[in-house]
Amino acid sequence: MRESDRKLYLASVTDRYVRGDLSRRKFLRAASKLGLGAGALGLTATMPFGFRGGVFNTAAAAEIVPDADMMAWLKDVAKPFAGQTIRLATESTPPSNAINEHLKPFFEEATGINVEIEVLPLEQVLQKLTLDVASGLGTYDLYYLDQSWMASFSGDVLDPREKYAAKPDLAMPNYNFDDFLGPLVDGISMYDGIMVGVPYDIPIFIYMYRKDVYDELGLKVATTMDEFLANAQAIQKAKGPDIYGTTGQMKSGHYSLECDWTAWLWGHGGSIFGPDQKFSGNDAEGLEAMDYWVKLKENMPPGVTSWTWDGQGQSVAQGIAGQVLSWGEFFPSWDNPDASQVSGLMEAAIPPAPKALRTVEQTGFGEIPGVGHQGGSSLAVSKYSKSPDAAWLFAQWATSADTQVFITTLGGGTGPTRTSVYDDARVKANAKPGIPGTTRHLNVVRETIDNYMGSEPDLPEWAELANDTIPVELGRFFAGEYDSAKAAMDSIAEKTNKIVSG
Amino acid sequence: MLLSPGQRILRAVAAWAVVMLFAFPIYYWVTVSIKLDREIFSIPPKVFSFETSAKSYEEVFGISLGFEQGLSVLPGGGDFYMTPRLWDSIVIAVCSTALAIVIATLAAYALSRMRFRGQHHFVFWILSTRMMPPVAVAIPMFFIYRDFGLLDTYHGVILIHALMNMPLAVLLLKSFFDDIPKEIDEAALIDGASRFLVFRKLVLPMAMGGIAATAVLCFIFSWTEFLFVLTLTQTGLKTVPVVSSTFVTSTGTAWGNMAALGTAAILPAFIFILLVQKNLVRGLTLGSVKQ
Repeated sequence: MRESDRKLYLASVTDRYVRGDLSRRKFLRAASKLGLGAGALGLTATMPFGFRGGVFNTAAAAEIVPDADMMAWLKDVAKPFAGQTIRLATESTPPSNAINEHLKPFFEEATGINVEIEVLPLEQVLQKLTLDVASGLGTYDLYYLDQSWMASFSGDVLDPREKYAAKPDLAMPNYNFDDFLGPLVDGISMYDGIMVGVPYDIPIFIYMYRKDVYDELGLKVATTMDEFLANAQAIQKAKGPDIYGTTGQMKSGHYSLECDWTAWLWGHGGSIFGPDQKFSGNDAEGLEAMDYWVKLKENMPPGVTSWTWDGQGQSVAQGIAGQVLSWGEFFPSWDNPDASQVSGLMEAAIPPAPKALRTVEQTGFGEIPGVGHQGGSSLAVSKYSKSPDAAWLFAQWATSADTQVFITTLGGGTGPTRTSVYDDARVKANAKPGIPGTTRHLNVVRETIDNYMGSEPDLPEWAELANDTIPVELGRFFAGEYDSAKAAMDSIAEKTNKIVSG
Repeated sequence: MLLSPGQRILRAVAAWAVVMLFAFPIYYWVTVSIKLDREIFSIPPKVFSFETSAKSYEEVFGISLGFEQGLSVLPGGGDFYMTPRLWDSIVIAVCSTALAIVIATLAAYALSRMRFRGQHHFVFWILSTRMMPPVAVAIPMFFIYRDFGLLDTYHGVILIHALMNMPLAVLLLKSFFDDIPKEIDEAALIDGASRFLVFRKLVLPMAMGGIAATAVLCFIFSWTEFLFVLTLTQTGLKTVPVVSSTFVTSTGTAWGNMAALGTAAILPAFIFILLVQKNLVRGLTLGSVKQ
């Protein structure tokens, strides 16, 4: 039996076992014929992979058989670094959890390098990294960098392309930088000609909807902004308040609110900055977007202004929202019957087309307008690291195609950053409805990345603007503290321009 | 005052209502820890009748409670395996409390019984260290700890928690010592006892209630402290409040796991308070009646 057939067959029997269609005895017998014992199948442990209560895919865990050639190369090249310890501070994201939980031991065993991963909420990661950079301590050898921090940390990391070229003996064979999706490299890795880090994960806004509700009401997938609003209103009218037209992540002062805003802003032909590098969210297109957003909010649950992505995801999982434009990495959790009331009922589609779209040249600070707001991150080697070579080996392994396949099939649901991973048979084998860790939404994710992705501007002050200034003022607007959207936007413009001009 | 049967019933109902009011959030938190994820936010909320699962506990503590398909569960060592972090919390809270109490007891006795120039200023200075917001100190402390090699170490966190608790402990204990008549000390001193003997054999046993009350406060402060642990630790150790925040992921919050850890985290503090309860009641009422 060919290796790929063996893996697919194993995935199939494991899937049947997980669904209860196959007894444990028969499953173990089938697995043993494939040369895998219970230990290898993970049957001696339930995997505490914790993406909101168990997106973890048992079938995928059974398939962790790292590429033999890559592991042999790592074993050979890492000999001088055996015994070293490298540290990474990261947000609790699907790739980081999958690596920390399941994949790290393979790297440690092959290389003898100890990997310590500190998992924290995003804002605490920023605090830790800021302290590390300010002190030059090199506590962390690897930085998890949100795309909004690229400019801030661009001077504190080693350019991975330069590292790859400068250390050919440490350059992973077939690593292939060109395999990373082009828009991602531009959107989440590059700043001012420097490749700050390697694309690591890519949460991105896609359009997700309740197929049962759409079918019942005879709705079609929206292709325009107006149709998206009309669908929300139709659902609200027919099914509310049991099922709201849509939902949001609109907590005052939280980054999630800024994320929602940009999608509607870009979707109406607006931009955060103009070519003169002044805030332009208060122009005619920006105000049109606010008007649209206010109308959309009338079809959202009342608690939406206190929710981040957490509340938004829960509202869909509990079945009280008919459609949403939000992070695609929610999708697998909504398909998980243990964590969701809408398992198998959701469908994914590309975002509705923008009314107009500005070009990069019509914006400032490298902003890339697009309805598919991306919140990707990259993995960077700190220039203060005391073990930069060991860290570089880990970064290559963690972002290699083989490791990304396991990250994806383990059920995190985040979109891979490499083209080849989307085409991998093991990833495609999980594209089924109603299972934890489904990958059936990934075609939409890929198309959105390629054609509809929006990226925030790159400037050192952006972390402050996106996490504080803008969402605080937007929150005040939705709390009724401003008389009009124009007054709120003018206030943001004034504050933003002041911060940017220093 | 004799109460009529109706009044007694009314009093009992009121007492139970107050108890329920305070106990309900704890009850609800415990139920979250044993609910399936899809039922945690179900609408309407399932308060009493729901499907139970030990999954959250199994994930957080890496043990099998036998509820999940009869599978054994091994420590995962991953994000949601928190047993070592619970141990970290216990070590830090107990040791920092012990350190703070030992030093504060000696300092408080000295301040209560001895007189020296600038004593009032000294007491005010102790109090003033509590006036500075911890966040203003956290980052400078990070650099100091880095230089002294105290980052990410038990003794580093124990030290900062003890320092944080010291002012409050000193002032509280001083008030307890003040309530013990000086004449007892003076009689013993006249009989030839040394100052330390007086402290150890006479005053200390009489102040045990106050010391227990202070220890409980110190323990709870350390048990719930977040900022310094977050800033001064990395991967080596973490306490429960800090690791609880790791349940907040990029794709949502693992409420079941957080509730499981939170429920388990109540127990050590509860046991500590039970152990000192006898003295605690005395301590809290000590000095309530002035001579």
